[in-house]
Amino acid sequence: MNSGDGSMAKNLLTGAVGVILFLVLWQVIGAYRLAGMGWPTLTSVLDVLATPSRFGTFQRAVTATVRSVLLGYVAGFVMGFGFALLGHLWPRLKVGTDQTTAVIHAIPAIALAPLLIVFFGLAATPIAICALNVFFLVYNATSSGLLSVNNTHGDLFTAYGANRYDRFRWLELPAALPSIAAGLKLAVPAALIGTILGEWFGAPQGVGLLMVAAMQNFQIPMLWSAVLLSVAISLSMMALTSLIEHYVSHRFG
Amino acid sequence: MEPEQGVTAEPIDANPLRWLYSIFARFVARFWGVIIILGAWQAWVLISGYNAIVLPPPLSVLHQVATNLGLFAFAGLQTLAVAIIGTVIGMLLGSVAAILAWYSRLFSGLLTPLALIFTAVPAVALVPVIARLLGYDIRTVIAIVAVISFFPSFVFTGSGLRALPPGSADLFRVNGASTWMQLRYLALPAAVPHWMVALRLGAASAVLSAIIAEFAMGTSGLGSVFSEARDSFDMTRALGASLVATIISVIGFLLAISAERIVRDRWD
Amino acid sequence: MSVASIQPTAPEPIIGTAGIPAINLDRVGKNFRLDARREVKAVSDVSMNVGKGAFVAILGPSGCGKSTILRMIASLDEPTKGTLSVLGTTPADCAANHRMGIAFQDHALLPWLTIFDNVALPYRLAHLKADPGRVAQLIDLVGLAGFEKARPKQLSGGMRQRAAIARALLLNPDVLLLDEPFGALDAVTRRQMNVELQRIWSEQRTTTLLVTHSVDEAVFLADRVIVMSGRPGHIIREVAIPFERPRHPDVMRTVEFHHLVNELTEALHPTEGTGAP
Repeated sequence: MNSGDGSMAKNLLTGAVGVILFLVLWQVIGAYRLAGMGWPTLTSVLDVLATPSRFGTFQRAVTATVRSVLLGYVAGFVMGFGFALLGHLWPRLKVGTDQTTAVIHAIPAIALAPLLIVFFGLAATPIAICALNVFFLVYNATSSGLLSVNNTHGDLFTAYGANRYDRFRWLELPAALPSIAAGLKLAVPAALIGTILGEWFGAPQGVGLLMVAAMQNFQIPMLWSAVLLSVAISLSMMALTSLIEHYVSHRFG
Repeated sequence: MEPEQGVTAEPIDANPLRWLYSIFARFVARFWGVIIILGAWQAWVLISGYNAIVLPPPLSVLHQVATNLGLFAFAGLQTLAVAIIGTVIGMLLGSVAAILAWYSRLFSGLLTPLALIFTAVPAVALVPVIARLLGYDIRTVIAIVAVISFFPSFVFTGSGLRALPPGSADLFRVNGASTWMQLRYLALPAAVPHWMVALRLGAASAVLSAIIAEFAMGTSGLGSVFSEARDSFDMTRALGASLVATIISVIGFLLAISAERIVRDRWD
Repeated sequence: MSVASIQPTAPEPIIGTAGIPAINLDRVGKNFRLDARREVKAVSDVSMNVGKGAFVAILGPSGCGKSTILRMIASLDEPTKGTLSVLGTTPADCAANHRMGIAFQDHALLPWLTIFDNVALPYRLAHLKADPGRVAQLIDLVGLAGFEKARPKQLSGGMRQRAAIARALLLNPDVLLLDEPFGALDAVTRRQMNVELQRIWSEQRTTTLLVTHSVDEAVFLADRVIVMSGRPGHIIREVAIPFERPRHPDVMRTVEFHHLVNELTEALHPTEGTGAP
């Protein structure tokens, strides 16, 4: 049974052992071709990543992807937050905002791609799909956060004759912040998925493009390098948003 | 906020016009956002004078689907089937891994940080990797869906196995219950609601990941209809595939939600 | 800790007509809907008055509807039957004019604000210019001087309730509503808070309605105790409390005090007869 009486250091150690085992397994499977030609050794992937002549390619790809991710992330946040506010402040619109968001979310991002390409062009499609993915998560986090107000706090504001705006500004919005921060953290992998998917549709640059090219040209270590780069971007953004989430939930929770 | 809304059935108005109007009003209240988007699309096509090849209006997309119903239905069902099979496999593997982690502290310690790292992996990035590992085949699509639904299942089942009613674990231990009995009568029942959440999350992304995989490889299902249409610049057909994909993904999601509701009703 | 120096900053009461009781309930009933078909009667046929400057306690077992009465007066619930007026107007108007102070069993301090900002919150909601001096004085009055910058999380349960009381007094309310404000505290802290509330109240004499299930608390604090019984909630007894103000804690040791406590306890839980468990 897994009740946490193990010390923190011990947990860290086991975890590190797990990661190392995973890396060794990766290397062994690659070295002995246990999974066929499609599985490269860890060292060959690191080799590709450490080749100086490729630095320029990697840097351009990562820059393009990070740029799309950030732009889409911000745009998706603004739209999701704004749409949630709309539904919250005008309750008559709420059913409609919920439903519209659900419908947009139900449409597979890949299915929207042709439309997005027509409307925004190839280069901006990764940003648009990223924004749509983030939009959904932020909308849900914000609208459920705004409803998460403690009952007694609500009673207090009623008894003190707070108007709609004051209730929003001093009660609902601060109470929603932990939920919004959690949504922003969840949105990181979704943002990367959207961006990479958008890049597959023919963006001029980016890590996703690198993946597709490497897959089609059987450059297996290159393909895995591109995947590792996308994981690195995702992990660093996750770390950052986790810090924000930790601060916000401590300060406003 | 009003409680009990919609519990009492509204009497059907004697005046059919007014009854129609109330249905219409409810429809608008629910779908105004969708109506605005579709209207804007149709208007954009009319105003900008886009060539219908570049951007067909919504109506001709509907027409496309209606006239090629056989093709779309076959591809759509293929995608749905692959998504369901992949989800089931992925969730089973995820649950087994979670039970192993529950049973063995060592296994859990080894796996937890890895699982944390893997939640940060953008799932689509795994599509080309698995495609190269297993070849361009329908089995690859299933494998991709399974891998993608593995992680939510592992994480949620894991937390569910530990979400025991307060004091119940002590009660079992005091009564000398075996590990198997603790799993069977305590941890597994506690995990079921969490497991259903994982199913709902997995179902939402299963159809999407199946289509993405099919699209990347172009071998089967809606994704390949989509990629062929794109390659031949048949925008109307591509959008038709989008429409069917949306319907399939809503069906998958509704299936998962109703499964969740049934289980939740039984469990609470 | 002179209280006389604390000046009201809120506007004068809008309804100041003498003779009208601050709170008036006339045959008030309240039903709650359980589902489409079933309803439960929480309160039935309750009539009562709270005069200006009076301290009235409603005493009763849990579930007897006493909190429902307070919530209706605070405009948090609507009566199903009868009429209810506060300061000659409806509870909703009274709330909209920021004439009420309220404290609950849950301190209801906002976790993201400091104690100072929490106490000052009613200024914001009433759109009045904040008077930092008055906030500081109230914090001092309830014995929290030095904790202005602390957050609710950092304080003990008793300290949070003190802050909640300070907040309730901030606008010099015409009506102070206290819903089991010390219900979550341990017995020692609770008695201490009673003594302090009594001291503060004796200096301010704000019309106060206290809802409690503690007989000692009701007798020590109130001028009049209304005893309620449940299913549905109705008034079974009213007792006037004769002690002079300000009341010294020693009052609680007098024979008269014990006599009143016994009488009320008997009314709450008749040793024989028809009382519901």
